[in-house]
Amino acid sequence: MAHAIWSGAINFGLVTISVKLFTAVRTNELRFNFLHKQDDGRIFNERHCTVCGEKVEYGDLVRGYEYEKSHYVTLSDDDFKSVRPEATQSVDIVEFVELDKINPMYFDTPYYLEPEKKSRHAYALLRESLREANKVGIARVVIRSREHLAALKPNGDALVLELMHFADEIVEQSDFDFPELKEKVAPAELKMAKMLIDSMSNETFEAEKFHDDYREAVMAMIDARVAGEQVAVPEMKRPAATNVVNLMDVLQRSLEQSKHGAATAARPKAAAAAKPAAKKSATAAKPKRKKSAA
Amino acid sequence: MAPVKSQLTVGGRTLAVTNLDKVLWPRDGYTKGDLIAYYRAVAKWLLPHVRKRPLTLERYPNGIDEAGWWEKHIPRGLPAWVRTVKIAASTRDEKIEFIVCDDEATLAYVANLAAVVLHVWYSHEPTLDVPDFILLDLDAGEGCTLATLARVALAARDELAAAGVTPLVKTTGGSGLHVVVPLAPRYDWDQAKGFAELIARRLHAVEPDRTTLDRTIARRPHGTVYLDYVQVGKGKTYVAPFSVRPRDHAPVSMPVAWSEIEAMGRKRAKGTAAEMTRWNIRNVPKLLAQGGDCWTEGWKPHRLETVIAAARSLWS
Repeated sequence: MAHAIWSGAINFGLVTISVKLFTAVRTNELRFNFLHKQDDGRIFNERHCTVCGEKVEYGDLVRGYEYEKSHYVTLSDDDFKSVRPEATQSVDIVEFVELDKINPMYFDTPYYLEPEKKSRHAYALLRESLREANKVGIARVVIRSREHLAALKPNGDALVLELMHFADEIVEQSDFDFPELKEKVAPAELKMAKMLIDSMSNETFEAEKFHDDYREAVMAMIDARVAGEQVAVPEMKRPAATNVVNLMDVLQRSLEQSKHGAATAARPKAAAAAKPAAKKSATAAKPKRKKSAA
Repeated sequence: MAPVKSQLTVGGRTLAVTNLDKVLWPRDGYTKGDLIAYYRAVAKWLLPHVRKRPLTLERYPNGIDEAGWWEKHIPRGLPAWVRTVKIAASTRDEKIEFIVCDDEATLAYVANLAAVVLHVWYSHEPTLDVPDFILLDLDAGEGCTLATLARVALAARDELAAAGVTPLVKTTGGSGLHVVVPLAPRYDWDQAKGFAELIARRLHAVEPDRTTLDRTIARRPHGTVYLDYVQVGKGKTYVAPFSVRPRDHAPVSMPVAWSEIEAMGRKRAKGTAAEMTRWNIRNVPKLLAQGGDCWTEGWKPHRLETVIAAARSLWS
């Protein structure tokens, strides 16, 4: 189970619903370290000052805001602290709005709110009443010392808190040259285009159908290199040679621990059925498959 | 150009097979049809080794001279009857849906995907966190003779035998050998890995000149066998017994009796790869029909407590 960002409450009117806040999306971004081509050594960055040329430690850094070229206003940690919002740990609903009235471009990152035991009923009540009214709660929330605008939406069994952009973060459409609504399209053309859309239409959106092909291709390449031992192990990072006696000691200790612990309790009985020596018929569990990804 | 399609009925399942005449081994002329026929012919012996285990495919649809790729995720258009399992396969968070190959029809299906090599997990359903064997990969490096490889393998057998272990051995189909020790299903990944490392380090101690533990290829001494003990772990895989390899003459990863390794030790071959092609998709079905799978008899799960107790006085 993921770690809660905070435990707090949804507040509106006189109602308080105790909840925990969790992230609802994970980033599957590929992460790489830079290595030195010649010897696979890890690279680390050193900060150098452009005035004195000295190497600068983290503690000697201060943040500067460049208000015009080469002119800075410096802000200290205390300055930031003085304007930081109070860590309220609450979702304060300020109003309710019909979902269709919000431009979807405002929605940014979703979070889950999970009710505490005592608030399960109130949670379900809020979720269902929002659903029936087709409304969402507009709220203020502080996450990781930043205040955000957010929408509280029913989503399946959950209440999802979706952080929203502030109005000035959205680039205006008037900055671009889009054809106007009243620009003429011939009815016949429209009919043709609609037919094409119908022929490519799907009842539902199946997210599982789509994969991050680039990521999968890179990971496949990495897996193949690991399997083919085309790996880099920087010399300095290798652990000191472990000797046989030490390894036996470690292993024995681990075996003794699991003897008293839970590991043996979970010992599988079914394992015997699947070992290669067992001559069992080929029938296994009933094929259970979700919808095929066509 | 539309692919040439036909239908195949295997174990009550009808599946579409395509481009059976496509040559996958250009210098041998073996086709995709030959690959499917091979996997069906050895299904009886191969399936016990892959059943209930998450499967990774190594596919070569354009033949072995073109780059192949590894596929863990189920391919698009997977027939509904193919069984799958969804698991978080490693430290990476996302879940992967793997094919599980339980029957001949699934085997024929993956062969039709030009899955030349079948890689499977060290554990099986429903206990995917319990490895039931460990593997020591004896990888013959550049300049390593067949006799050296055999000698290292036999040293592994003898060291293990002294500690009461009867290991199994198979060719990799590449240039090395896989030494396998079946485990009682009661240990976790760290214990299995620790045991594999222990064997590797003991073997390096008794054969210091013929073996290396260096993971960086460029630093391995010429003519040595690299002892790879880091292949075991959750989400890691090994080449399944009777899997084919994407090399000339279509060699097969073949479980063999230790007497075969003793015979290798008496040969004068400079390299090891040629010997591995002795078992290939042409003759393995016949060999199995005659002699069966020598691992069936030899697969005896070991308890690490007993092994360590025995090894303690010998290896200290």
